[in-house]
Amino acid sequence: MKFTLNWLREYIDTDMEPARIADHLTMLGLEVDACVPCYPELTGVVVARIDSVQPHPNADKLVLCDVIVGEEERTRVVCGAPNARAGLVTALALPGAVLPGGFIIKPAKIRGEESFGMLCSAKELGITEDQIGIMELAADLQPGQAISQALGLVDTMIEVDLTPNRPDCASVLGIAREVGGIVGKRISPPVVTPPVLTGENLPFSVEVESADDCPRYAARLIKNVKIGPSPWWLQQRLLAVGMRPISNIVDITNFVMLEYGQPLHAFDFKKLSGGRIVVRRARSGESLSTLDGTEHQLDSEMLMICDAERPVAVAGIMGGANSEVDAQTTDILLESACFAAIGIRRTAGRLNMSTEASYRFERGVDPQGVPKAMERAVQLITALGGGELVAGGVDFKEGVVAPAPITLRGKRTRSLLGMDLSLDRIGAALSSIEIDVEKIDEDTLRVTPPSFRVDLEREVDLIEEVARIVGYNLLPTTLPMVPMIFSEQDGLRELRKKVAEIFIALGFYEAINYSFVAPQHHDLLGLAADDARRQSVHLLNPLAEDQSVLRTTLLPGLLENLRRNINHQSHDVRLFEVGKVFHPQGSDQPEEPFRLAAVISGHRNPGAPVLHVGETQTDIFDVKGVVTQIIDLLRLGQTVTCQAGIAGQELSFAEPGTVLAVMGGEKILGWCGAFNPKTLKGFGVKQQAFFVDIDLAALAGLSSQAKTFAPLPKFPFVKWDMALIVPEGVAAGEMLSVIHGCEEKLIEKAEIFDIFQGKNIAAGKKSIAITITYRAIDRTLDDETVGKIHQKIIEMMISRFNGQLREA
Amino acid sequence: MPSMYDELLRLKTVAGEELSAITQIGELEPFRVKYLGRKGEFTLVMRQLGQAPPEERPRLGQLANEIKQDLETAFAAQESRLAESGGATHATFDLTLPGRTVPFGKLHPVTQVMDAVCAIFEGLGFAVAEGPDVEVDFYNFEALNIPPHHPARAMHDTFYVSDSLLLRTHTSPMQARIMEKEPPPLRMIAPGKVYRCDSDITHTPMFHQVEGFLVDRHISFADLKGVLSVFITKMFAENTPIRFRPSFFPFTEPSAEVDIGCVICGGKGCRVCKNTGWLEILGAGMIDPEVFKKVGYDPEEYSGFAFGLGIERIAMLKYGITDIRLFYENDLRFLSQF
Repeated sequence: MKFTLNWLREYIDTDMEPARIADHLTMLGLEVDACVPCYPELTGVVVARIDSVQPHPNADKLVLCDVIVGEEERTRVVCGAPNARAGLVTALALPGAVLPGGFIIKPAKIRGEESFGMLCSAKELGITEDQIGIMELAADLQPGQAISQALGLVDTMIEVDLTPNRPDCASVLGIAREVGGIVGKRISPPVVTPPVLTGENLPFSVEVESADDCPRYAARLIKNVKIGPSPWWLQQRLLAVGMRPISNIVDITNFVMLEYGQPLHAFDFKKLSGGRIVVRRARSGESLSTLDGTEHQLDSEMLMICDAERPVAVAGIMGGANSEVDAQTTDILLESACFAAIGIRRTAGRLNMSTEASYRFERGVDPQGVPKAMERAVQLITALGGGELVAGGVDFKEGVVAPAPITLRGKRTRSLLGMDLSLDRIGAALSSIEIDVEKIDEDTLRVTPPSFRVDLEREVDLIEEVARIVGYNLLPTTLPMVPMIFSEQDGLRELRKKVAEIFIALGFYEAINYSFVAPQHHDLLGLAADDARRQSVHLLNPLAEDQSVLRTTLLPGLLENLRRNINHQSHDVRLFEVGKVFHPQGSDQPEEPFRLAAVISGHRNPGAPVLHVGETQTDIFDVKGVVTQIIDLLRLGQTVTCQAGIAGQELSFAEPGTVLAVMGGEKILGWCGAFNPKTLKGFGVKQQAFFVDIDLAALAGLSSQAKTFAPLPKFPFVKWDMALIVPEGVAAGEMLSVIHGCEEKLIEKAEIFDIFQGKNIAAGKKSIAITITYRAIDRTLDDETVGKIHQKIIEMMISRFNGQLREA
Repeated sequence: MPSMYDELLRLKTVAGEELSAITQIGELEPFRVKYLGRKGEFTLVMRQLGQAPPEERPRLGQLANEIKQDLETAFAAQESRLAESGGATHATFDLTLPGRTVPFGKLHPVTQVMDAVCAIFEGLGFAVAEGPDVEVDFYNFEALNIPPHHPARAMHDTFYVSDSLLLRTHTSPMQARIMEKEPPPLRMIAPGKVYRCDSDITHTPMFHQVEGFLVDRHISFADLKGVLSVFITKMFAENTPIRFRPSFFPFTEPSAEVDIGCVICGGKGCRVCKNTGWLEILGAGMIDPEVFKKVGYDPEEYSGFAFGLGIERIAMLKYGITDIRLFYENDLRFLSQF
């Protein structure tokens, strides 16, 4: 809602600075978004009258104007405007003046003729957007007067961001009432007591089918109006709040709407069939072309203003083209009405329309404002449009319900606000904004909400008003006295935090991607037609096609992040994301399990000095290491393993043979591996990349190993090596498993420290070197004991893996 | 064969010279082994003591001990001298070269701020609850006193999944979900992702919110002010200016916006605060009696307050981030800054 300071001051007597008014309004809950001068400073621009016009000797389109700029003063200006003519009163920028945009006026020679200033258009002065020659001002203005003063161009525009509960402040009078509360004065509205309208012998009729849809409807007829431009003062009001002047009648209806918050509509009476107005729901099959040129199909939920035959306006939203006031209009039927908010919201929603009128009706207009706004508009139309007012009119008001009184308890007010307020102070706060109160006992008020405050229905609404007027910042600040309760932690949330900590320690940055993604991602991942991840939740109204489905996997988001980073020259990428994926469940809420995913690409040691760490690239063992560390740090080592050789049909995006399954017993919890080149290409990633993708919710269901202390060994270990030549198909991991699995108690662990193929090793074979650590808990081991065991292990390995001992 | 006496004196001279020639700490240990160790030269000489004539044994023994003790003293002195003179005597390193770092990642700035916000409220005894992102219309709107066609719905540009399902536009539905299940007293916060169809330099279609509420007997607006003031002073600075001003939310009455003194300009007025000197940081209010009625609480018996704040906004203010879209590009040049 925009208004100007001068406009406001028509209704409330205050000389408060605009910035202070703005501040007060904000603190009253009417948040001021802007408080700016309406017009540029126009120093050096004055009223001037063109005395005579001579042709320019050297230019066809220019003229020499002899201009009167004061009682005795004259000057000469070269002008190119087509409307420069003798007798015209216009605006002159004198030498030294600075026009909006910084243009400085100087004496100049134009095509050889001297010019001392510039005659200006309204656009050049920043007053309107119109550019039709130089300004045409009222003939009685005094030449030489500063233009700002002459035209009232000193004003401040204030814009308030209204909350939906305050339609009363969608009017300058409503704002003035709030300002009245600040300065302790009452407003003086232009119409105090509107005449009572009687409907006898009228040349038109009004019929309202349902008082529920339309609680009040007033109409009056004005004949023989002259359609034309509005006077400057009216145009200026509209222009200052960003509304375009159209014609006197339309401008007046807009002006009164802004003044009273009561939308009005003017019909061309001669276009109304049968001279009738019928307020009714649309009939099926009816349609209406509205003033904005849109053709609407109507339905029986929509309230229409109709004539004897057809709809002529969408009630409370927009007029129809078929009854529009135009340049030929002479007789006007003026409507001032109150429509039920819910119906307007529904219709505006269905027709996808939003207008100044619907904005106000949707939130609720004052039924008692209907006749006042009507009277105000009638006065202005007869004054400015020269029409003849037909006596009487219709004022249907069967649906108007008087607001019910509300009981306001002092005690309740004090306890809810936490402030000691006397009943008198409570009452005074409400009275200051024209809310009538009546004391009914020691600590109780009976409050009758004024008709313009449609938002006040309950005691708590009044308590808010009291708090608002007292001032939120004057209310005390205390801490609540509450019982001490231990708040339980959500296990899954704890797990997410722990996983994030682990990833960070492993050098990963956390990514957060949108929950909605492109449906094409499923194709880019090459998911099979029956893959569950293709079943996604669709948005009915996505912002864009590539944000139209909820994600079923985190990997595409991370792949897109990877592409972005590589394209911006960050080639060494380690990103992880812990987030929800969404699986539809018919018409129920989807399942929203948390997953955990990561991508790795580029150098193994991102950020570390190449000098020290070399330039090795990541490979499959980096992701495998990440997964095993997560399993280990979550203490899930006894239940979860990272296994090779599990066939995974769902891994259409992975490179065959470079994939490991994360297994919880027999259940696949997730995967890690290398993306295949096709997937990388699809996502525009130009380097090798690896992934981790684990069902976090499933991990959360597993119990982690309790922390229990094991005594520290008292005796040293010894390490013995073996190198075996085995067929190249033997899996090294299996060899370790066999050693770990044998019954020998003294073996603490076995590790592979070298794998070799090539010189001195027969084709089809490889050499695997293993270190075994032996330790006894009760003694230092001697060579003889260890030697025997070690030899036994070597023999077992040779027979188990068809190997032979590699000679040193 | 030289006499043992000569041999001892020779050892004394040789060892003494060798010791004083040592300049590297690393050379000390071989020296100690060579002369003073279990198999060192002095030990060997001492073992031969038995072969010397008996009358000479005490004198030789005493001399050998003196020489050994002197050498040990000199060795200790040399050792501490070298240790004090520090690395200069080690192999030289170009210490201007960078250190060997281990890669270390970081949490997303949204998570960092979210955790900080939650930690403050958890410190005040608030429990954490999370709800579904795809919410039922009822909990997102109706339970919060926003019936269909209510103008407040225009404040929420909602993504719909079906007639009855939508992407939650705030985390406030958790208020209704929890109150429906549990009786007062309650102190909860609900962090999470929220969605609105809006996208520009200050809006992303997904962002993060923390919603919180406290319900008990005798909870007042003054308590709301107290709790949120604690939050703001902990989140920003002890002396952060705070103001509360009236606003409107369908599920609170009275409703408030909470502003803090602009952290960018210090209240003088700048572009970020639109020259007001204040920044809107929180929405809050006393829970509306209608909300209580819908979950079966008696509004005459219980009162409470609720609040909600946007995490990205706080992160942008704290870190001076100018474009909200950066949060969701996951550019390492961005993520590594926080």
